[in-house]
Amino acid sequence: MRFNPKLTVLASLVASCLVTSGCAFSPHASQQLDDARAAYRSAAADPAVQASAPAELKSAQDALQEAERMAEKGGPSELVEHNAYLAEQRSRIALRTAEIRRSEASIAAAGEERRRVQLEAREREAAAAREQAEQAQMQVRQAEMARKEAESRAAMLEHERLEKERLGTAQAELGAEVKRLESELADMRAKQTDRGWILTLKNELLFDAGGASLKPGAQRALDNLAQFLTKYPDRDIAIEGFTDSTGSKDLNQQLSEKRAWSVKAALVARGIQSTRIDARGYGPSFPVASNETPTGRQLNRRVEIVIDPS
Amino acid sequence: MNRPTLTPFISAVALALAACATTDPPEREMGAARAMVSQARPVADRDAPQELAQAQQKLARAEAAMQRGHYEHARILAEQAEADAKLAWTVAENVRVQRSAAQVQDETRALREEMERKGR
Repeated sequence: MRFNPKLTVLASLVASCLVTSGCAFSPHASQQLDDARAAYRSAAADPAVQASAPAELKSAQDALQEAERMAEKGGPSELVEHNAYLAEQRSRIALRTAEIRRSEASIAAAGEERRRVQLEAREREAAAAREQAEQAQMQVRQAEMARKEAESRAAMLEHERLEKERLGTAQAELGAEVKRLESELADMRAKQTDRGWILTLKNELLFDAGGASLKPGAQRALDNLAQFLTKYPDRDIAIEGFTDSTGSKDLNQQLSEKRAWSVKAALVARGIQSTRIDARGYGPSFPVASNETPTGRQLNRRVEIVIDPS
Repeated sequence: MNRPTLTPFISAVALALAACATTDPPEREMGAARAMVSQARPVADRDAPQELAQAQQKLARAEAAMQRGHYEHARILAEQAEADAKLAWTVAENVRVQRSAAQVQDETRALREEMERKGR
C-alpha cells in the first residue's frame, strides 16, 4: 500500500488536535478510573450504604458507567477523568452518609438506653420513697400502738387502783357495818374469814329448843340483818344452820335446815330477794367447839350468816 | 498537493472538536455548585476544612472559566465543585453526628454509673 500524504496530514492534524484538546485517554485518566472503580466497589459492597444512601450510590454508579463507556469507545480523556472523579466522590459521599446513619442509630440507641436508665432510676427512687413512707407509717403505727398500750395500761392501773381503793373503802365500810350489827346484838359475833364476814347467832336467841319458829326476840336481829342487806344490794348471803351432836343426826340435820329456811323466809318477808339468799342446814357437822361440855354445845348450836365477800 | 480535497476533513475535525465542547454557559451546574458550597461552608469550615477548600478552589476556577468563556471547562469544574462540596458537607455532618453520639453515650454511661453508685 502506498503511503498517502493526504492521510498523513490528516492523521497528524487529528493527533495534534486530540493532544491539544485533551481528548486522548491519558494515564492520569486511567488512574482516576481505577480509583473510581475501587471507591465504588467498596461503597457498593457495604449493605449499610445500599440501605441508607441508595440514591448517592446510584449516581456514583451512573458516573462510573459513563466513564467506562467513554473510555471504551475512546472518548475524551478529560471527560473520562471527570466522570471517574464524580464517581469516586459520590462513592465516598455514599459511604459517609451510611456512617452518618449508623451514628444516628447509635444516638437513638444511646438515647433509648438513657431513657431506660432514667426510668429505672425514677422507679428505684419511687420504690425507695414508698419504702420510706411505709417505714414512716409503720413507725407512726407502732408509736400509736405503744401510746395506746401505755394509755390502756395506765387506765388499767388507774382502774385497779380505784377499784382497790373502792374495794378497800367498801370492805372497810362493810366491816364497820358488820361491827355495828355485832355491837347492837349481844349474842351476835362477827368475824372476818376467807369466805367473807361471818355473823354467828346463837340458836337460843332465835328459836325455842327443838323448834324452827322464830322467837319474837329474834325480830330485832332480823330487822338489822334485813337493813344491812338492803344497804348492800350487791351482796348475797348464805344462811347455814348447825346443831350440837345431841340426839339423832337426821333430826338435827332436818332441824338445822328448817331453821336456816325460817331465817331466809323472815328476811324475804322483810323485802330481801330470795335469790340473794342461800339457806341450808348442816346438822352437827362443822362444830366450832367441843360437844362434850354444855358451853361447847351451846356454841355449836348456831346460825351463821355468811356475807359474800365480792 | 490537492488542497481543496483536504478541506472536508479539516471541517470534519473542527466539527468533532466543537462537539466535544458545550457551547452554552453551564448556568445550572454553576448554580448547583454555588448552592452546595454555601450549604457546606458553615459546617465544613470546622470539621472538613480540606474538602471545603478543594470545593471552593474548584468553584473559583469554574467562575474564572465562565469569565473566559470556557464553558465546557467551567461545567466540569462546577460539577466537581458540587461533588466536593457535598462530600465536605457529608464529612462534616458525620463528624458532628459522631460527636453527639459520643456525647450521648458518655452522658448515658455517667448516668448509669451514678445510678449504680446510688443504688448500692
